[in-house]
Amino acid sequence: MKVKSSPKNETVSGMEVSVRPNPVEIEEKARRALMARHRFSLKLQISLGFFLVFLLAVGIAAVMVHSMYQVEHKLEFLEIINDYVIEIQQARRFEKNYFLYGTNLDDALDNVYQARDIIERNPDELKQILGKDNHRMVVSNIADYQRLLEQLEDAERRQENILEHRRTREKIEKELREKGHQMVSLSQGLMNRLRVSVSETLLRSRMIHIYFLALLLIMVVFNAYILVSRILRSINRFTKYAQRIASGDFTPIMPRRRFRDEFTDLALAINKMIQELEQREEGLIQLHKVRAVGTLTAGIAHELNNPLNNIMLSAHMMLEDYNQMADDDKKDILNDIVSETNRSRNIISNLLDFARQSSSQVEPLNLASLIRDTIKLSANQIKLAGIRVEFQAADNLPQIHGDVQQLRQVFLNLIFNAIDASKKGDKIQVFVIPADEPDYVAVKVVDFGTGIPEHILNSIFDPFFTTKGKGKGTGLGLSVSQGIITKHGGRIKVSSRDGEGSTFTVTLPVTTIPADLKSM
Amino acid sequence: MSIINISSDVYEEGRKIAQKTAEAMGYAYVGREILRGVAEKYHLSETKLVDAIDKAAPTLRMSLKLRKQLMAYIQEAVLGEMLKDNIVCQGLAAHLYVLGVSHVLKVRILIDPEERARNYAQTHNMSVKKAEKLLAREKKLRQQWSFSEFRFDETDPSKYDLMVSLSQIDPDEAVRIITETVCSRKFQPMNYSEKCLKDLELAARVRVLLMDKYPSSRVQANGGNLIIETLGLTREKRKREAAIKELAENIPGVNYVEVHFIHDFFRQAAESFR
Amino acid sequence: MTDQLEVLLLDDEPIVGKRLKPALAKIGCNVEVFENPRAALDRISEKEFDIVVTDIRMDEIDGIQVLEHVTQKSPRTKVIMITGYAMMSLAREAMGKGAFDFIAKPFQPDDLRKVIASAAKALGSSIDFTAAGIDNA
Repeated sequence: MKVKSSPKNETVSGMEVSVRPNPVEIEEKARRALMARHRFSLKLQISLGFFLVFLLAVGIAAVMVHSMYQVEHKLEFLEIINDYVIEIQQARRFEKNYFLYGTNLDDALDNVYQARDIIERNPDELKQILGKDNHRMVVSNIADYQRLLEQLEDAERRQENILEHRRTREKIEKELREKGHQMVSLSQGLMNRLRVSVSETLLRSRMIHIYFLALLLIMVVFNAYILVSRILRSINRFTKYAQRIASGDFTPIMPRRRFRDEFTDLALAINKMIQELEQREEGLIQLHKVRAVGTLTAGIAHELNNPLNNIMLSAHMMLEDYNQMADDDKKDILNDIVSETNRSRNIISNLLDFARQSSSQVEPLNLASLIRDTIKLSANQIKLAGIRVEFQAADNLPQIHGDVQQLRQVFLNLIFNAIDASKKGDKIQVFVIPADEPDYVAVKVVDFGTGIPEHILNSIFDPFFTTKGKGKGTGLGLSVSQGIITKHGGRIKVSSRDGEGSTFTVTLPVTTIPADLKSM
Repeated sequence: MSIINISSDVYEEGRKIAQKTAEAMGYAYVGREILRGVAEKYHLSETKLVDAIDKAAPTLRMSLKLRKQLMAYIQEAVLGEMLKDNIVCQGLAAHLYVLGVSHVLKVRILIDPEERARNYAQTHNMSVKKAEKLLAREKKLRQQWSFSEFRFDETDPSKYDLMVSLSQIDPDEAVRIITETVCSRKFQPMNYSEKCLKDLELAARVRVLLMDKYPSSRVQANGGNLIIETLGLTREKRKREAAIKELAENIPGVNYVEVHFIHDFFRQAAESFR
Repeated sequence: MTDQLEVLLLDDEPIVGKRLKPALAKIGCNVEVFENPRAALDRISEKEFDIVVTDIRMDEIDGIQVLEHVTQKSPRTKVIMITGYAMMSLAREAMGKGAFDFIAKPFQPDDLRKVIASAAKALGSSIDFTAAGIDNA
């Protein structure tokens, strides 16, 4: 799906008229744009992140189990070697006793057999741990030692002559001591090496634990960071949207990222809400217009009574005196009736113009003449209230773009408010001037009435806020006005001093692009 | 030379004050006695007419439509009496439909709600709390009805010229205040207010006549000129307009009839400002 | 028509005076017509009228002010208010301030004639409707 580019306004020799796009269409367009992206949901990101952390944890567990197994293994062999060393040390002790006190060699041989047995029971592992050369040396050492002991015992058993026996014994003794010493020191060396190796393994497994934990921590933090920042960024974005919507800007949310997720669903829901809000606001504007028409009608109904009375009196007098009347008098009366009828028609035609329900159209317009018409429209209210209106417009003001009906409604409302705030004999000033910022035109409606107390100044634009009595005001006027002005890309501001009057300033952009399209 | 209209939450209290006031002023008292005549004229039961005035909400026996019809009969009779001038009117809900007539003094007799609940509890043999709840609910329903039917909230003080609270002011004192007030020139009849009252009376008569066939019609009179609004389908328009015109033009006092079909945007808006 | 009623008619609508002057003359009223309230007030200060008919909604000075001026100047003068802006509150204000009657525009010449007749009655003189050739007295 491709997003359609915003519609270009057709320009026909400086006279642009564009019908406001339907909120439903705008919403549909935004929806399509939002849905056109690939989905990368938060759920997926969360699952993925946790899965990775889990994988890492499994890895760590595996490595830990493995290193533990290794340590255990090494400790086992350390024990074996230890047994072996004890056996051979025992053997040597017996051997020493034999030479010193002439005890028998059986015990020594027993120990040697035990030691050999230990060595031969686990040949492969020993080979692996001790290394082939060492292993061979250990095996040959013990074998030699055993052989020498056996020779000695043999000689003992044969009971040769003393001399020969002693000689043999001395010869063997020397060799035996040498071998024994060699054997013990070798095995002790081995044991030491094994001990070092075990502590190395322990150290390594400890370091592995630390490193992996650190890695895990980094992973978790990183995962949380990207997750949280994604969520926070979206939430911030939506907070801004909410503020924007609250200020009356009903532009739908458009895509800001390359993918879509749960927040897209939220955006869709908000767009739907905006659309309904906008439609509801249209309704509010209409309702408010009905009230304005009501106010105007009340004034005009009274105003109409004057020409009607003139017609009534004239017609009745003509009826009464028809026969005695000169033709000129009759003509005079009929002329009066005609002109008073025209006067009546003029009184209502402005109102009819305003009240007529027309589709909203954005067109170039002259603000000064719009205000002048609006003042004329409210002339009866102004007269009824006994108030003077001063109107001033700067020369050569640029045109603005807007919806005449809606803008007139705004200014009518501001004038009504000013009238309500004023006392009999007060004046109201209305200015149309260039605004302080370039490319904006300002309309100021100044009254010298009661003013707005400071504590309610902030809430006067809130919907349903009213200071007028029950049944007098809906509290919608300023809220609806603000909505209309925001839609036109303008602003409405108020400054007021309690007891000295208020100034409402409406600024509208001087633009050749209708406000509606600008906001797309 | 005035009309005093007295309304109250409690009929009996209002009646006492109204009768005393009528006596003091030498005016005629117009109360629910006139309903007998209405009942006979339209072959209705008198209690139903009283219910139409008193009841808070539509009941099984009385639909909104029937109530509207009964109220139209009552209005016709009451406004007819009012044309005679110098009367004290009470208990006929006139405060709901006699509006904008400057020589009608609108008085509301206030009864302390707690006292009222106590009395109600005693006579109906229930706890005070229950009575309070019941009365509050009734009041709310009545408010809803009067607002939907007459665009009028009868508890709104701004709709009255004088409110007298019987818990603070003795009945005799209240009568004195009312009679003194009504003697002010402000409540004297004049060309404009008499015209307003005549217009209301004429409209009421026309309404009764249209009631049977076109109950949704709204009637406004202005010096013998009638504006009748009626709701209906467009295809009925011509026939309906002709029928209404014929009915209305035969009423004494009518010289011009205008029938507006469907709803009038302007008047709706203008009426919202009354 | 021995004792004519002296009537001042004030309305900023010229046609009102133009049509009512002959209408009231028929029932024996001597009518002075004013469109400017200030000029009318000056005239009231000069001369005591039997009846003052005044519009209410006018520029500068409104009818209520005229009424106050008349009641202060000459209490026996009957003041009749005519207005296109008839409302109950305005009617009561006018009556409370001592107006004799209050008529809403648009009205028929006879409406005013009847009111003037009753004002004349209250002043102790009478008006002969039949003499003016008007059918519904």
